Amino acid sequence: MTMSRRRRRVLLPYALMAPALVLLVGMIYPFGLGVYYSLTNYWLQYPKRFRFIWFDNYINLVGEPLFLRALEFTIGFTVVAVAVQVGLGLAVALFLHARIPGRAVLRALMLMPLMIPPVITALMWKIMMASTNAGILNYMLSFLGIDPINWFGSTQGAVVSVLIIDTWGNLPFVSLILLGALQALPTEPYEAAVVDGAGPAAMLRYITLPLLAPFIVLAVTFRTMDSLRIFDVIYATTQGGPNDATTNLQIMAYQFSFQWYQMGKGMAQVIVLLLLVVLVSYLLLRLWNRAAERTVY
Amino acid sequence: MKLRRRWLTALVLTVAALLTWQPPAVAQDDAALDYYRQAKINWRQAEGQSLTIGLNKHPFTESLLPLIPEFRKLTGINVEYLILPEAEYFTKLVADLSQQRGEFSVIMTGPMRNWQYVPPDWILPLDDFLNNAKLTDKAWYKQDDFYPALLSANRWDGTIGGGVGKGPLYSIPVLEESYILAYRKDLFDQYNIKVPTNLAELAAAAREIKAKAGIPGIVARGTPSVASMGTGFISGLKSYTDGQWSEFDDKLNARFHDPRSVQYTDAWINMIRESGPPNWANIQWYDAMEMFTAGQAGMIIDADFFAASYEDPKKSKVAGKVGYALAPAGPGGKTYAGLWTWALGINKATKNKDAAWLFIEWATAPRTLLNATLNYRNYNPSRASVTDDAKVKETMGAWGDGSYLRTVQKNLETAKVAWTPQPERARMGDIWARALHEIYFQRMSAADALKKASAEVDKVLKEADIKQ
Repeated sequence: MTMSRRRRRVLLPYALMAPALVLLVGMIYPFGLGVYYSLTNYWLQYPKRFRFIWFDNYINLVGEPLFLRALEFTIGFTVVAVAVQVGLGLAVALFLHARIPGRAVLRALMLMPLMIPPVITALMWKIMMASTNAGILNYMLSFLGIDPINWFGSTQGAVVSVLIIDTWGNLPFVSLILLGALQALPTEPYEAAVVDGAGPAAMLRYITLPLLAPFIVLAVTFRTMDSLRIFDVIYATTQGGPNDATTNLQIMAYQFSFQWYQMGKGMAQVIVLLLLVVLVSYLLLRLWNRAAERTVY
Repeated sequence: MKLRRRWLTALVLTVAALLTWQPPAVAQDDAALDYYRQAKINWRQAEGQSLTIGLNKHPFTESLLPLIPEFRKLTGINVEYLILPEAEYFTKLVADLSQQRGEFSVIMTGPMRNWQYVPPDWILPLDDFLNNAKLTDKAWYKQDDFYPALLSANRWDGTIGGGVGKGPLYSIPVLEESYILAYRKDLFDQYNIKVPTNLAELAAAAREIKAKAGIPGIVARGTPSVASMGTGFISGLKSYTDGQWSEFDDKLNARFHDPRSVQYTDAWINMIRESGPPNWANIQWYDAMEMFTAGQAGMIIDADFFAASYEDPKKSKVAGKVGYALAPAGPGGKTYAGLWTWALGINKATKNKDAAWLFIEWATAPRTLLNATLNYRNYNPSRASVTDDAKVKETMGAWGDGSYLRTVQKNLETAKVAWTPQPERARMGDIWARALHEIYFQRMSAADALKKASAEVDKVLKEADIKQ
């Protein structure tokens, strides 16, 4: 019994699609389950009370004081982190693009933080940022005449600490994108500018930055998506404290789901975060499209 | 070619022999096993079965691991284990229990945790195992040797708001933990400071240490979690109110905003802000313990057995310089410290229940617990016979020039489980700890923050149908 050639031809496309379909189902099923749970009062502790409650979890979020604080921190942190990381990343990229001695070594060194898992990065910094003199960072600052900084023990300190650690880990990523873009820029506009007598500042302002715009938007997009969802650095250092100062939506959802076992509520919070990420990414990608169209090499 | 193959065979055999060879400790092992074989039960009745033990990263766990091979040899039961840090451990445990997969057979639990696992019927009462002659040789196991207060802490009749010490036994204690004051005797002597006996004196002593010795006068746990509330803080509050205050009134309304609770909390937070470490809000139990061990704090009110760390000459900077005393008392002059026991229980969904019990029987047998304390520093003993062992007594008796053992024993006369039984105890503690942060960071007054915490707890208990 061999299959007719015709039948085989009919089946072939499906066979070729099978891996993609499996993947799709593998992605959609857990997602669908998550959405479903967000519409229930699923609470690990009380399995017998499981009920479908429509949008109650979403509606109740509005009255949850922690949610508003977490939302505020999620957005605030993202805005500051992205601005700092893209700004510094651009500066580093420009520096490493310039003809300086030891450039190759510096470029290789710059990539190092990317190779360290974020949790390890966070723990490493947590040790360095110990509040007493035992912390190496405070010890070094003492030589500059700076009093010990209360890194994780104060609300502002914790926010700044998380920001520093996240920036240390992700700056190379931004620099890498922008450095790659800088190296691919056409040389003609610069030659023309030199002929016209433009200085370096003018060239940066009127040639480099406009040409880099799509790549900057790209870096902003990636970093925004990541910063909205940041979890590992916060969980490993402050767990959202002190005084909930570093609790973002992700940490809050973790607490509801895995500390207090209210899976339904936790899922609803994650889905709100997901919607936020999708919306922001959509807006940024539109911006990117426009920037890319405007840039003609 | 042939020659080479022979060489290769010889090499493989040598390596294999080296890998399987064990030092001749067999005779000694057998002597140890003989002790267990005196029990009139068949230790090999579950031979070939497998157990997975869920373990929290804890000194007890460290003391148990090296002993497990002995259990394997005795029973022929295969033992695997998973060790996780406390927060992750409890999360993983609830995930397993709630799905009734029976991944863990034996679990590390304890009184307050049992209140969470008993109502949904996730863990087994152990009395039937204890009374089954096929599984337990009562004369050999010596259940009466356990401190009665510790066993009774692990009993609960399932009543929300009460019933501790009544009803079934859900877990067998492997250690005792209560809360006492440890202070730097050398500094107290040097600066002529009196050992504090009440809250005002505690704050004064902390202030003085900070001013004179230049280190934080007192260290305490401060992360916004239930783990920060259940040791020094709650023991102090119970004592401050002469044991009168508890989290609920008789209708299960939260009472964090009770005036005495507000007074105490205000004084405590002021003391921490004034004389505590600047990063109090990010300090977990091991940070607190390490700080005191490293000589970076003048006092600590926390688990009594942390003394094993303070007095460990290999890693402690304060070994031999620490004094021990009861936590500060209330107007009545008595302390009412909290109590906790890490204990072993059985997951109801496990397939190998008898094997699980055999493991607990072995792990909590007099000799195993003695071994754990004597050789692997598992303090404080849950069995009187372990405390009374000459070598254990010598070690513990030397701490604080004898003040340690005296204090622990005196403390246990009044210490008891500080919390009120209900399944949302951990969540409630998290809410309470967050209120302390609101006060510490001066976003709210103590009265307002605690009132808010009470309201929030009431809301959660209603949502969980625990209260009407």
